[in-house]
Amino acid sequence: MDEQLLARTFVELADNLVADFDLIDFLRLLTDRCVEVLGAGAAGVLLADRNGELRVMAASDEQVRLLELFQLQNDEGPCLECFHGNTVVTVPDLTGQAHRWPRFVRQARLRGFTGVQALPMRLRNEVVGALNLFSADPGVFGQATAPLGQALADVATISVLQQRSAARSTLLNEQLQTALNSRVLIEQAKGKLSERLDIDMEQAFTALRGYARAHNRPLSELARAFVDGTETLGPLPSS
Amino acid sequence: MPMNRAARIAILVAEEAGRRGATIAVVDVCTAAVAALPVGGAGLSAMSPTVASYPLCSTDDISEQLEELQLTLGEGPCMDAFTRQTSVSTADLRGGRAQVRWPVFASAAAEAGAGAVYSFPLQLGAIRPGVLDLYAPTPLDLSPDELADAMGFADSATQVLLGTLTARREGLTIGDGDAPDGYRAQIDQASGMLTAQLGVGIEQAFLRLRAYAYAHGERLSAVAAAVVDRRLRFPPDDEPDRTA
Repeated sequence: MDEQLLARTFVELADNLVADFDLIDFLRLLTDRCVEVLGAGAAGVLLADRNGELRVMAASDEQVRLLELFQLQNDEGPCLECFHGNTVVTVPDLTGQAHRWPRFVRQARLRGFTGVQALPMRLRNEVVGALNLFSADPGVFGQATAPLGQALADVATISVLQQRSAARSTLLNEQLQTALNSRVLIEQAKGKLSERLDIDMEQAFTALRGYARAHNRPLSELARAFVDGTETLGPLPSS
Repeated sequence: MPMNRAARIAILVAEEAGRRGATIAVVDVCTAAVAALPVGGAGLSAMSPTVASYPLCSTDDISEQLEELQLTLGEGPCMDAFTRQTSVSTADLRGGRAQVRWPVFASAAAEAGAGAVYSFPLQLGAIRPGVLDLYAPTPLDLSPDELADAMGFADSATQVLLGTLTARREGLTIGDGDAPDGYRAQIDQASGMLTAQLGVGIEQAFLRLRAYAYAHGERLSAVAAAVVDRRLRFPPDDEPDRTA
């Protein structure tokens, strides 16, 4: 474990939790850092909507195939077990786990993943979501990686509670709703931009985020303005 | 497993429509909300940043007046809920905060017979078709669980307006149902793509996507996947707008 990288990561995450931070942008940064720090192949943050269904808030990779893999876990999978059991679920090697989650294991392996770890996002006694990690190599995740993963999951929980647009609300329910709605906004904006520039969804996300940063605007607000047509996005930073 | 909030609310709404002997409309959302929550009435207004807003329905005279007052005065909790896209709770309309925020509306609403007003935006990303208002004749604090239900009713109103409400129970299925939302991201992405293909707003784009799925007997998620994979395009002038 690279201690310096670790320290830098937590400082960077703390630095980004300032006034006016954008939740989706922040969670994407967090999933990217999970990949670097934990040696994961992919990471995703899922939050429960008020019906108890898990929804993807951010993933280290915007590819739809990967998003689907996360979402599939509304039916079965380690993330769902983690969420309902309020417990860390660690599977260093998916080989031999097909009896446990037949569809999930098949889909994960199809996408080249062999290891998985799911960490609960806890708020007092309630579980509000989960941080989901995948690895391409068996044996990356184990008891040793759980505490660090949990620390990152806790940072994700804090960020949901700190988001600006729900600052007036003390209601967890509304904060989650605002977060989930921001995600829908980003997807709509990605679709519009990908069509306009004939690029894929990951490139569209990168371009939107780059523009938001270059112009110092919260990503969700920019996405809304772009979908509404009040923001045309001038010259985009190269993506 | 207990029935989730959305499913429970969808059934309450469907039952109201059944009682009227009609297909589900937003008035059923209002009636069901009033039956389920300790409020006196409910009203719903269609709102838009670009064209004039108008009341869609209300359950009684007081809620009708509240809708019209806000749209006429251009101030009130439903205006704020729409602008900020967050719910606005006013447990006591005669309190100082309400009087400061909406000097004209607060007094007029109290005069009309309202003691508390709760406003919930209808939203699906950039799609925001209106606001659901609930009022009580006397000051009222809704509990967190009641507020969650109220937001659930607002969600169901959004679904009614977008034609995606599904209620399912023994012997009762309403709406065409769709894949449980494993593919929601693609539906949102496809709607965004159609705004550019068709040169329309996001709400219209979503309705076109849904109309196509309905007309071709396909699942919304399947049509969305075809659009995202660029196997299906919607040329701007090729087919008449069936949702108008």
